[in-house]
Amino acid sequence: MLRLLSKIITTGTRVQKMSHVRTPVKEIGENLKQAIHTLYGGRSLRIRHVDAGSTNGEEYELTALGNAFYDIERFGISFVASPRHADILTVSGPVTRNMEHALKTAYEMTPEPKIVIALGDGACTGGIWKDSYAVVDAVENVIPVDARIPGDPPTPEDVLQGLLGIVAALRK
Amino acid sequence: MTYLSFTFQTLVVLLSAPLLVGMIQTLKARFQNRQGASIFLPYVSMLSLLRKEMTITKNSSWVFCAVPFVVLGTALFLALAVPALFFGVTPNSLDNIFLFGAVAALGSIFLVFGGMDTGSTFGNMGSSREMTLAALVEPALYVSLATFALAAGTWGLGGIVGHFASLPWIVAVPPVLVTLTGFLFVLLAENARYPVDNPATHLELTMVHEAMILEYSGTYLAMLEYASAVKLTALLTLFLSILIPFGIIAVPVSALSLAVAVLTFLAKLALGAFLIAFIESVVVKMRFYRMQEYMTLAFFVSLLGLVILLVVLHH
Amino acid sequence: MPVSILECLFAIAMVLPLFGAVLSLATSRFSFNNTLVQSVFALSGLSGLVAGGYFFALFRMSEGVFIAVTFPGLITVALGSLQVFFLMLVYGGVFLTSLYAIHSLPPYKDVYALPWLNVASAFFVVGMEATIFAPSLFSFLLFWELMSVSAYFLVIADKSDESLRAGWLYFVMTHIGFACIAAGFLLLAQGNLFASWNDVGLSALSASPLGISVAFILLLAGFGSKAGLVPLHQWLPYAHPQAPSGSSALLSGVMLKVALFGFIQALVLFPFVSFSLALLVIGIGLLSAFFGALRAAVENDAKRVLAWSSIENMGIIFSAVGLYLLVQGSAESAVSAIAPSIALFIVLHIVNHFIFKTGLFMAIGAVASKTHTRNLDELGGLAQHWPMFAGIVLALSLAAAALPPFGTFFGEWAYFQTLASGMTLSAFFGGSFALILALLTLVGGLALFAYVRMFSAIFLGRARTPHAEHVSSMPLFLWLPPFIAVVLSVAAGLFLFPLLGASGATSGIAKLFSSTVIADGASINSWVVVGAMVVIALLLLAFRRLFSNTKPSRITDTWDCGQPLTARMEYTATGFSAPIRFFFKSILMSEKELIVERVSSSNPWIVRRHLVWSIQSFFEYWLYRPIGIAVFAASNAVKKLQNGVIQLYLLLVICALVLTLVSTL
Repeated sequence: MLRLLSKIITTGTRVQKMSHVRTPVKEIGENLKQAIHTLYGGRSLRIRHVDAGSTNGEEYELTALGNAFYDIERFGISFVASPRHADILTVSGPVTRNMEHALKTAYEMTPEPKIVIALGDGACTGGIWKDSYAVVDAVENVIPVDARIPGDPPTPEDVLQGLLGIVAALRK
Repeated sequence: MTYLSFTFQTLVVLLSAPLLVGMIQTLKARFQNRQGASIFLPYVSMLSLLRKEMTITKNSSWVFCAVPFVVLGTALFLALAVPALFFGVTPNSLDNIFLFGAVAALGSIFLVFGGMDTGSTFGNMGSSREMTLAALVEPALYVSLATFALAAGTWGLGGIVGHFASLPWIVAVPPVLVTLTGFLFVLLAENARYPVDNPATHLELTMVHEAMILEYSGTYLAMLEYASAVKLTALLTLFLSILIPFGIIAVPVSALSLAVAVLTFLAKLALGAFLIAFIESVVVKMRFYRMQEYMTLAFFVSLLGLVILLVVLHH
Repeated sequence: MPVSILECLFAIAMVLPLFGAVLSLATSRFSFNNTLVQSVFALSGLSGLVAGGYFFALFRMSEGVFIAVTFPGLITVALGSLQVFFLMLVYGGVFLTSLYAIHSLPPYKDVYALPWLNVASAFFVVGMEATIFAPSLFSFLLFWELMSVSAYFLVIADKSDESLRAGWLYFVMTHIGFACIAAGFLLLAQGNLFASWNDVGLSALSASPLGISVAFILLLAGFGSKAGLVPLHQWLPYAHPQAPSGSSALLSGVMLKVALFGFIQALVLFPFVSFSLALLVIGIGLLSAFFGALRAAVENDAKRVLAWSSIENMGIIFSAVGLYLLVQGSAESAVSAIAPSIALFIVLHIVNHFIFKTGLFMAIGAVASKTHTRNLDELGGLAQHWPMFAGIVLALSLAAAALPPFGTFFGEWAYFQTLASGMTLSAFFGGSFALILALLTLVGGLALFAYVRMFSAIFLGRARTPHAEHVSSMPLFLWLPPFIAVVLSVAAGLFLFPLLGASGATSGIAKLFSSTVIADGASINSWVVVGAMVVIALLLLAFRRLFSNTKPSRITDTWDCGQPLTARMEYTATGFSAPIRFFFKSILMSEKELIVERVSSSNPWIVRRHLVWSIQSFFEYWLYRPIGIAVFAASNAVKKLQNGVIQLYLLLVICALVLTLVSTL
């Protein structure tokens, strides 16, 4: 225990500095505006992540967001266990036919106002699986999407920038 | 004046509850060398939940919708019974120790109903576990509360804290130190903290408390989160008011002493938050099926505390 | 003048059930038979309740007031407050269950022979009443036997194999108990079977200490076997649930109290009760409470859960009775000062247990008659069909779990508080009260578990089998009696608790709203507690008005992670109690086995698996089984004598003759 504590003290915080924030949203939708407005400017956002058939690349990057370097919690963003608790649904993967229904139910359960973010190339366009018989391509074919964060997979920094960009762009 | 102070004290406890949760989260982040969220985050979270829509499962009955109200109601009851700033202001019947325990149990079992009334395996699992914990933690809770009461010679929480506050620390507190340890065990179990439950888990199979509220959203979720914050604050306040009974005053009060009382209370809460964050950073969550060891330990520590006190009393 | 009205009412209440029995047979051909008979029973109960209430209004709980009730031209009996109190329980039970039986029995008219069932019920009720007011030893034993035998007919009413087995077990156990009671009383009365209670008390004064101790143990065993105390409880969880639900309610809610009454009446006769015997009563009571609660938490038959919980509650009451015996005779005034608080608990818990157990048995019976199953694993989701009825059962379950604002909580508060404050008396009391308190809180926790489990399994979530899917609505007479029980349970906390517990100084209306004070000054006011709960509830309702109007809720599926949920995926009651079965594995002697069925012995492909689990009775294994083995071994040994050779038998006769001669000379 003492070793652990001394390690904690000697290490100190080494959080990544966020210098500039760029927005991933081309034109800001009415839904986004309303959502951020209702949620006190997005000071506290809860994310439920839905894996709709991704390679798990996006999930690895999302996990990295919680670590001491990226520390997504300092922006008031946290991950939750149920879509009913969520403000944001992040969806990754080209929606496979098996996950189509699950994605719809998750979307249905998420209470309004909600923000849907397509995470990674697969979710944005269908990626390298586009037009395959097993997938329905981009997330927007199943549920309305508010913002896209491209990349295969997007780096944690991309994701962080994307999330903050949405909030920052709308707060102006 | 008494009623005014009583209302004021209850409000202070109620308002500081989310702050305590925020402090614990931030301190835990600091223990992980993270910067962590603002300590005021829970306020914003709960307020934004109030503005959200509610979605409810179709497999539930009115019991599901009654749960947040009852759970919050019991939490309010606990909040008004604990002497955070003043002693001797709570109406005599409301702060009786056995009533305190029963009301806490009432809140726990309604949460269990909430988990059972979803038709979902996760909720059911959380309920089964929570009910087992609630049933087994009961002896330790009552025994430790009875020990405090015996040490003070009075049966209301206000009187108990008054006793500890009016005597020198070195005389009053050491006989109940073992019991305080037992009470800490109870506190951690009742509030679904480490090592009994992981409050930050996203893995349904490791959840107890979170699994029961998976199906709640919007206002109901805010009520349940707030209720669990209030319950934690109430129990922690009681723990700290006995361990460090400084700054708790009797009415009537002056403006200065009131300010001191509020500040000491907040300082104590910060200390409590540090204590919980510390515990959660250095221990691991126990396997659920080893919970009997934890509960037995809690029970025997409380009983040992009682025996020590009885020895002190009768010799 | 008022006293004569009182006598008249009591006489009506006592005679009406017999009239009902006659009526039941006389009108057995008509369709209104059951309704008519039950109305007569209900009338009897009502007049008994009125008479009892009137009695207490006139005389309060004072000792030594006896009124003589004369049946027209028959016999005269004396009623004191103890008798009237227990009679009121009987009449209350009769009133509620006969209201309930108006609707609950007719659907079963092919299963039960209704006219005869009602005759048995009438004799059962008369047996209980007469046991309570029996003026002498002989009449007591006679009516006790009447009660026991008619209860046997209630247990076997549906004539199924299971009922007959349960009835047989009950019959044997109750007669062992009867033998113990008769022997105990005869020891006290020095062999005079026809002694009045006074005479028994007088002759007990001259009995030897050993004789008194033996008599005490015999009586404890006898009445304890009826009240379901371990280790003589074996029959209770089998027999009580087999009777029709209304009768189960009477068996569990009232008959157990009659057994308690018998024990209390016997205690009055004892010149003294030694310290160790009082400890024995406490020990057996606590053991019963623990085992009852533990088994209630893992039992799958809904009515059996209630039966186990009766064992638990009777155990708690007996532990309090033992405690009362322990402190009441004490020379130290500080010690004997806590006796009234314990008595307060005993009285309150008798009433409370009667209320919630009667109500629950009727409610669960109603569920069983609508769904045709009592198995908790097959129910579920009924709160969506019967929202109000679910609320009634929920309230009764909370009352059974001793939670505020119900009367049970205030009763248990008095007990816990007495134990806790009694710890300051001396080192001995401190240590023993600490242990009792710890055990009782564990029992309380387990009882909480049992009732939460029972309620959730029946009413919450979704239906686990088609049994609970399509159910018709709940008729008035099935939910009204349990609802009355809920009201009574709250009223017991608000009215009975302060009336019995208020300090002597207050009087009149002020007494009703005053705090109840336990010996050392701890006090609680049930009105303040309930009032605070109501205020908080109103605050929350106001909060709901403020916030929920703007955001209507949307109904969706349950969160299923993408895999549609079915009722099979829900936790069953069995699964719910798995942790308890695991934690108390050695006491419950629970075993589970996973049976894997393969396609064929050579093919590892699994067709299906199923889990078999069982719970063994601790006492059956460690007490009854060895006794059985010993009895069989003994009879095998005796069999050696019976070899069919006539000379040996003659030799035995001669030996017996010689022995007799020698012993008489």
